[in-house]
Amino acid sequence: MSASTRIAGKDLKLRLRDRSAFIIGIVTPLALAYIFHLVFGNVFATETLDLQIGMVDLDDTEISRSLGEVLAEIEAQGILEITEFDDAEAADAAVEQGDVGAYILLGPGVGAAALEGSPFTIQVVGDIDAQTTTQVATSIASEFGSGIGRAQLSVATAVHLGEGPPPDDVVTWGEEAAQRPSAYTFSDVSAETRQLDASTFFAAGMAVFFLLFTVQFGVLGVLEERENGTLARLLAAPIGRRSVVVGKALLSFALGVTSMTVLIVATYFLMEARWGPPLGVAVLVIAGVLAATSIMGLIASVGKSAEGAANLGAIVAVTLGMLGGTFFPIGQGDDLLSRLTYITPHAWFMRGLSEISGGAEWTAALPSAGALLVIALVLGTFAWFALERRLSR
Amino acid sequence: MTTVLAAQGLTKSFGDLVAVNDVSFEIAEGETFGLLGPNGAGKTTSISMVAGLLEPDSGAVHVNGTTIRTRSTAGRSDIGLVPQELAIYPDLTAAENLRFFGRLYEMAGAELEKRTEEVLEVIGLTDRKDDLTKEYSGGMQRRLNIGIGLLHRPRLLILDEPTVGVDPQSRNAILESVEELSGQGIAVLYTTHYMEEAERLCDRVAIIDEGVIKAEGTRRELVSLVGQKDRIHVVMAGDVAEVARIAAELDGVHETSPSDSGVDVLADEASKLLPELLACVSSTGATISGVEVFEPNLEAVFLHLTGKALRD
Repeated sequence: MSASTRIAGKDLKLRLRDRSAFIIGIVTPLALAYIFHLVFGNVFATETLDLQIGMVDLDDTEISRSLGEVLAEIEAQGILEITEFDDAEAADAAVEQGDVGAYILLGPGVGAAALEGSPFTIQVVGDIDAQTTTQVATSIASEFGSGIGRAQLSVATAVHLGEGPPPDDVVTWGEEAAQRPSAYTFSDVSAETRQLDASTFFAAGMAVFFLLFTVQFGVLGVLEERENGTLARLLAAPIGRRSVVVGKALLSFALGVTSMTVLIVATYFLMEARWGPPLGVAVLVIAGVLAATSIMGLIASVGKSAEGAANLGAIVAVTLGMLGGTFFPIGQGDDLLSRLTYITPHAWFMRGLSEISGGAEWTAALPSAGALLVIALVLGTFAWFALERRLSR
Repeated sequence: MTTVLAAQGLTKSFGDLVAVNDVSFEIAEGETFGLLGPNGAGKTTSISMVAGLLEPDSGAVHVNGTTIRTRSTAGRSDIGLVPQELAIYPDLTAAENLRFFGRLYEMAGAELEKRTEEVLEVIGLTDRKDDLTKEYSGGMQRRLNIGIGLLHRPRLLILDEPTVGVDPQSRNAILESVEELSGQGIAVLYTTHYMEEAERLCDRVAIIDEGVIKAEGTRRELVSLVGQKDRIHVVMAGDVAEVARIAAELDGVHETSPSDSGVDVLADEASKLLPELLACVSSTGATISGVEVFEPNLEAVFLHLTGKALRD
């Protein structure tokens, strides 16, 4: 056993004895994740997973029936649940009772107006408390209306060119075109729009947020050794200065990986968090723990005392946690905040998890893990030299 | 005797402050060497360089012929360090503290267990070995602090003011432990600003102030630098004038003077003179009722060399 592992083993014994690492690394994040899950989990679930949409077809033409076919296709994918109503009164009652969040109404004459190229109206009626469902219904209706508009344009162009297709063919083309336009992208898999479910989001958010607090029990130990007077004794021993730094980093790594693993397993069973392929999660956890250790190593190298460094570490952890979207999702647009979020390991961890939790291969986590490793390498290099220099004073 | 430690021309500056300037000394096997000086004199900086904690700006440290460097582990196993501050883990037991540091010195298995028990016995903590050290008294913690330094059987033991803040009883126990070490052949480097400790423990003393060694030698040699003599006051009933006259003829006596209660004698070395002096007094038929010996101490030497008291 090397001197580094002996130092890490001694520190682990001390940490287990005072229980601080157990409380900060496992109990607190697990409790907070569970509380957030209980408070916010249902809100997330209603809005994202339980889309009940109704349809009222008072026109009953080929064109109006084509909307029903499109909705049936979407329903078959498990994204929506469609209920057909005979009239608007029945649909209104269903909305009132909460049986559906919204319904789409095709009034009489929509099909004829479409064929004639005249304006027509598609109504969407939604429950004010089911805004996401209403938004989805509006998008479907709008896309269907646009499809009919494109069909009208095709038919009008063909007639205007006077190339002589029979009028019956024109009607057929129009109907076919109207039936085809559906470009609904419910299964969008781009990173920009993919989101974790509520349970996984809170579990992962709290786990990675508290990771920085957990790893500080290792690397900040250098300062504690100095204050305890034991650093001189370690440096006088025939072990080499690097062994002290490596020993502390080893403990940080071990505590970080252990706490993350326990949290992942616990939230999987307790909160039904869907973390994704184990290999991908493991890669993200290892890279994330290395990045967190480097950040805290850097703080240890500039801290004047263990307490001061712990306070600075807490400020950094909270700032990076907020910026990295561990408490609430940060938008992923082009604004400054969205760009700043990617200086944090938290954002990369959450992004990597988003990539793999939806059923993708574990390799989808590699870009985010790579970014985490770059953070670990850059900050870790600074921390290494700064700590070594500090031990030489 | 074999030289265990040779410190040659050690110099160390921190910015504009020259903390240690051209300090040299040697310690032989079984010898206790004291660095005596007030706080801030450069004692801790000197031993930090000796222990390989600080790299000297110039000069070198050799322990058993091996050069000690901060970036090398060579020679470290021959050194035992007892820092001024307590260097123990309060949430480990005494046995766990000893085992941890023992393993850093490549001790293991039965050898480590045996040596741990031996050291616990030496420092008197066998009965409390499985208690967390944070529950110990200050004296017990100090003893453990020394025990850790001894554990790996170093050839050179460095003790940096080990009795600071210790109660008188524990202090005496520590001093007795150190006295035993020289008998075991260990070279001891002992820093202190307590003159009494240096006089009691050290075979040779270097007086250090403002980073410079002002003088070095045995207590006797240092005292001779000042020119002060031992003074013996014999309390007696009899012919004091006659006693003073006869005593003045003894070897090593510089001056005698009769007083109301007896005779005062100034001599080079009171301990050597005393048997002969007492025999001389008895030969005159006088009755001796008491003897007081006043030896010039290192405090006086320090004052003479630096112009200030040790505790200034």
